[in-house]
Amino acid sequence: MKLRSALGYTAAGATVLAAVLVPFLLMGMFSKGVVALGLHVDEMYSGGPALRVIQEGAYTITIHRTVYPHMLQNEKPFVQMDWGPVSALPARVSDVVDIDGDGRPDVRVSFGVPSDAKAPLHVDVEALSGRYEAMQNAGKEKNSRLIVHVDNSILVRVPLRNP
Amino acid sequence: MATSVGAPRHAGPAARGMVRSLLLTLPIVLWSLVMFFHPGTSTEWQSRAAATVTAVFMTVLFFMMMRTGTTYRWRRWFFVALGLLFPVGFIHGLLVARGSMGIPVEEMIAGRTPFCFMPIPTLILPAAFTRTIAFPGSIAGTNHGIAVMAGLWLAVTLVIGKGWCSYACFFGGIEEGVAAIPKRAEIRKIDSRWRYGPWAVLLAMVLLSFALFEPAYCIWLCPFKTVTEYVAARNAVGLVQNAIFILLFVGLVIVLPYLTKKRTQCSFFCPFGAFQSIFNKTSIFEIRIDRTRCKSCVVCQNACPNLSLSKESIARGETLMSCMKCGACVDACTNHAAVWHIKGTDVAVKPERARLMFLYAAWAMAVMFGGSIIAQGVATILHFVG
Repeated sequence: MKLRSALGYTAAGATVLAAVLVPFLLMGMFSKGVVALGLHVDEMYSGGPALRVIQEGAYTITIHRTVYPHMLQNEKPFVQMDWGPVSALPARVSDVVDIDGDGRPDVRVSFGVPSDAKAPLHVDVEALSGRYEAMQNAGKEKNSRLIVHVDNSILVRVPLRNP
Repeated sequence: MATSVGAPRHAGPAARGMVRSLLLTLPIVLWSLVMFFHPGTSTEWQSRAAATVTAVFMTVLFFMMMRTGTTYRWRRWFFVALGLLFPVGFIHGLLVARGSMGIPVEEMIAGRTPFCFMPIPTLILPAAFTRTIAFPGSIAGTNHGIAVMAGLWLAVTLVIGKGWCSYACFFGGIEEGVAAIPKRAEIRKIDSRWRYGPWAVLLAMVLLSFALFEPAYCIWLCPFKTVTEYVAARNAVGLVQNAIFILLFVGLVIVLPYLTKKRTQCSFFCPFGAFQSIFNKTSIFEIRIDRTRCKSCVVCQNACPNLSLSKESIARGETLMSCMKCGACVDACTNHAAVWHIKGTDVAVKPERARLMFLYAAWAMAVMFGGSIIAQGVATILHFVG
């Protein structure tokens, strides 16, 4: 019984010591441990990693990898494209984009660029191949179908028709 | 479990002398100075004044715990202050950063949704199976980043286990404050099956979050969205979500705590609290009932704000695993049968030693985490007043 008591008090003392170490050591150690797990934020939010960049005069179009929904996620697979920097965009963008890089156009994306960064955006997408869905006057309906202004880019997500 | 025969027994909480209480408070004074005035803290007068007020507040409360030998009511002052001041600082931060309490989809895509501890249990399955965090935040971001909050939660949980719910949670203080207002409870009979509510919500949210790959609790059920941030209502679904947040907040955090004098959101609903109960098994500190002193009067059961005592558990000499170590039962027991305890040691032999060791650990966490939040809230108020 004495051994159990000694162990109990030792553990309690170690706990108090751990409390002192939390802000100086343990918290940072555990946070770094979480980062080291190599987890990533769901691409349904982040848009997936960038695959390639197309130069269009003064601005660029960044094409992201296709994002597929998990499990029962109520979204369609989509491709995100970023137009930026916003300051270099014309008042109305209308670009034909070869999303998959096969040399053939996939979509024509058209949207106005308001001078007010907080003004609502709307996009028209004309499907030039059978792979992508057309969109008319789309705003921020779903994660897989939207146009938003994030930092210095305008992001357009186009859902796939036949995943 | 065993009580050693012939060992000197605890005579109940006793008031200490002024000098001895001051000496016992000295480590917390030093800790507060380090936590609130370390190099790198803001030099604005509002922040300095807020840090000073908070350091004094936390130190005085700890001193009173030492002086009176009681825990609950002093801890409650801290906890209510934390619950009330967290929204002040947090909402002010949101309004400065984005001009609204609503989370626009742009902020989600940019990974700037602040991450609190609530969705942690619902993120484990998606992370384990797909290495994906089903939350629109950033992992390594320093401001409300997922790794920072997860690291903090792990460290504090290692130290105080389920004590998180009494010394670190920045939500529970609101309902604890409301529960303290009426002199008597209007509703005194509460069906014991309500205890399973948090486990049911936890199970449902874990499965739903895995199936839909989204933080289901944050999106649909968190009552505290009402006083922090909410989904920007872009359509009918958003309106329904916000209506649910408000109804749950009014019901579980305002009305029911007032009628029952219990922390009803924690007792009936909170899935994080249920998850955190698991860590009561790993914590070295606990509260036990000394059967040789217990008269089965159930005063402790009535005093518990979290339904963490039942007649059966009292008969076994222990609390239920949902016990959050607030100390209400210990302070209420007139026979001094409810005692602080260190696992492995004899029950009720040196409970004050167990209480002191736990309180040093818990109050260190309270000053570090809750104290910084209180100071931020006070600084925000001073910013507007001054």
